[in-house]
Amino acid sequence: MSKRTLPRILQTPAVILLLIWMLVPLSMTLYFSFIRYVLNSNIRPEWTTPALSNWRGFGNYAYVLKAKDFIFAIQNSVLIVGSILVITVVLGLAIAVLINRNFPGRGIVRVLLISPFFVMPAVNAVLWINMILDPVLGLQGIAVGGINNLVDGLRDFPVLGWFFNLWPTLEPISFRATQTSAYAVIMMVAWQWTPFAVLIFMTSLQSEDESQKEAATLDGASPWSQFINLTVPHLARPIAIVVMIQSIFHLSLYAEIEIVSRGNGNKNLPYLIGEFTSNNIGAASATGIFAVILANIIAIFLLRMVGKSLMD
Amino acid sequence: MAAVTERSNFGKIAWPIVAWIVALIFFFPIFWLVFTSFKTDADAVKPEHLFRFTPTLENYTNMTQNYDYWRFAINSVITSTFATLFALFVGVPAAYAMAFNPSRHTKDILMWMLSTKMLPAAAVLYPMTFLTKNFLGIFDTHFLVIVVLCLINLPIVIWMLFTYFKEIPKEIIEAGKMDGVSTWGEIKDILIPLAWGGIASTALLTFIFCWNEAYWTVRLTTIDAATLSKLIEGNRAPEGLFFGRLSAVSTAAIAPIVILGWFCQKQLVQGLTFGAVK
Repeated sequence: MSKRTLPRILQTPAVILLLIWMLVPLSMTLYFSFIRYVLNSNIRPEWTTPALSNWRGFGNYAYVLKAKDFIFAIQNSVLIVGSILVITVVLGLAIAVLINRNFPGRGIVRVLLISPFFVMPAVNAVLWINMILDPVLGLQGIAVGGINNLVDGLRDFPVLGWFFNLWPTLEPISFRATQTSAYAVIMMVAWQWTPFAVLIFMTSLQSEDESQKEAATLDGASPWSQFINLTVPHLARPIAIVVMIQSIFHLSLYAEIEIVSRGNGNKNLPYLIGEFTSNNIGAASATGIFAVILANIIAIFLLRMVGKSLMD
Repeated sequence: MAAVTERSNFGKIAWPIVAWIVALIFFFPIFWLVFTSFKTDADAVKPEHLFRFTPTLENYTNMTQNYDYWRFAINSVITSTFATLFALFVGVPAAYAMAFNPSRHTKDILMWMLSTKMLPAAAVLYPMTFLTKNFLGIFDTHFLVIVVLCLINLPIVIWMLFTYFKEIPKEIIEAGKMDGVSTWGEIKDILIPLAWGGIASTALLTFIFCWNEAYWTVRLTTIDAATLSKLIEGNRAPEGLFFGRLSAVSTAAIAPIVILGWFCQKQLVQGLTFGAVK
C-alpha cells in the first residue's frame, strides 16, 4: 500500500459517516420545504404524503415569513442570546480576573465555580423554575413572603412605623408568564455558561505576559488602565470565541424554553420548528432552512478564527 | 503562571473573600437542589422548614418506585458509554491519519467536520423522525441513540485527538515505520500508549456531552431508550408538592457528571474551543 492511500482509508469512515449524517436529513428538509406537506388534513388528503406533485415553490418560505411568530422568534432569539452573551462575558471577565491570584482555597473556588456548567439542561431548568423562581413555593416566593411579613411587623413600631407604612407590599414575579419567561431562561442559561467564560478567560489570562504588566506598574499605570490596555486586548480572541461558541449553542436552546413556559411568550427558531412539526412539515422545513442559514453566518466567522490557529 | 501579586494588605484579604462569596453564590443552586433532596415533599415547600427539618433519605430510596430512575439511568450509561467508544473507534484512526500524514485537504476536512457540528439540530427534526420511524424502524432504540450521540460528538472527538496527537513528535512514529511496524501496530503500540492522557480526557469529555444531550435523546425516544434527560423533562410540570422527590432524582441525574467534570476542567477548554484557546 502506498504512503498516501493508507491515511485516506483511515479517515474515510469518519468522513463518510459525517457526510451521511449531514446530507441525508438536510436534503430531505430542503425537499420538504418546497412542497406542501402536512401530517393531517381531511380536506386535502393528498398533502399528507410527500410528493413532487405537491410542489409549492417558495410558498412555504413566504408563509413562514408572514407568520407573526417567525419575526417574534427571531427578535426573541436576539434578546435571549444577546442578553446571555453580555452577562456571561462581563461576569466571566470580572470573575476570571478576580480569581487569577493566589489565595487559600483557590482550587475549591474553581471547582465550585465550574460546577454549574456540568448540570444537564433539563435539570437546570427544572431546578430554577421550580425550586428557585416559583412565586409561591420557590425561594423567590419564600423570600418575598418573608420580607412582607417583616415589614408588616415593623409597621406597628412606634416612631419608625410610619416609614415602613410607606413600603409597598412586594409581589412575587411569576416567571412562567408571557412577559417574563424569556428572562427566566436568560437567568438560568447565564448561570450555566458564565463558568464556561470564566474557565476560558482564566486559561487565557495565565498565558498573559507578566513582564509587560510589571513594566506598566513601574511606569505608574493604574490597575484599571493595565486591565483596559493590556489585559483586554490580550483577551480579545478568547472573548470572540466565547461569543461565537455560545451563539451557536444558544441559538438552538430548547429544553429550557420547553420546561419554563412551553414556548409561551418565549420562542426561538428551533422551538417554532418544533411547533410547526406537529402538523405543517412544509413550514417547519422552511423555518429549518432559515435556521441553517443563520447558523452558517455565525459559523463562518468562528471557523475563520479557529482556522487561523489550526496549523501552528 | 501569571497570578496577581497583591500590592496592598487590604487587597490580600478582601479579594479572596469576594472570590469565595462569588463562588458560593454560583454553587448555591446546586447546593439547594441537593439540600432539598433530603427533605420530605411536605417539608420542601414550607417556609418554616426552610433550614430546620429532619433529613430523610426516603426520596432516594423511593426513586425507583416514583420515577423508575434506574431504567433511565442504565439507558444513559449504555448510550453514553457506547457512543463514546464508537466515536473513539472511528476518531482515533482519522485523527492519527490527519496528524501524522496530513494532505493538502486535511485542514479543509477538519473545518468541514466542525461545520457539521454547527448545523441546528431542529432543522432536521422531522426528517430524522421520519427516517428512523417509518423507513429504518429504529426509532426509540439504544442503537439509534448511540449512533446519533456518536455522530454529533465525532467532530469534537477528532478535533481534540488531533490537537493531542500533533504534540507527539513525528519522529517517534516514523521510527516505528522504519522498524517495519504495521499501521495497526503503530496505533496500538506507539500512539495509544503515548497519547493515553489525551485519549482519556477526550473520552471523559465526550461522555459528559453525551450524558447531558437533551435534544435528540428526548425527541428520538419514547420509552425503551429514554435517557435521564427525557426523565427530567417529562417531570417538568410545576409539581409544587413534589419538590423533595424531584430534587432527589435530579441530584442523582447530575451527580456523576458534575463530579466527572471536576476532573476535566482543563480539557474542557481545549475541547470546547477546538484548541483555539490554550
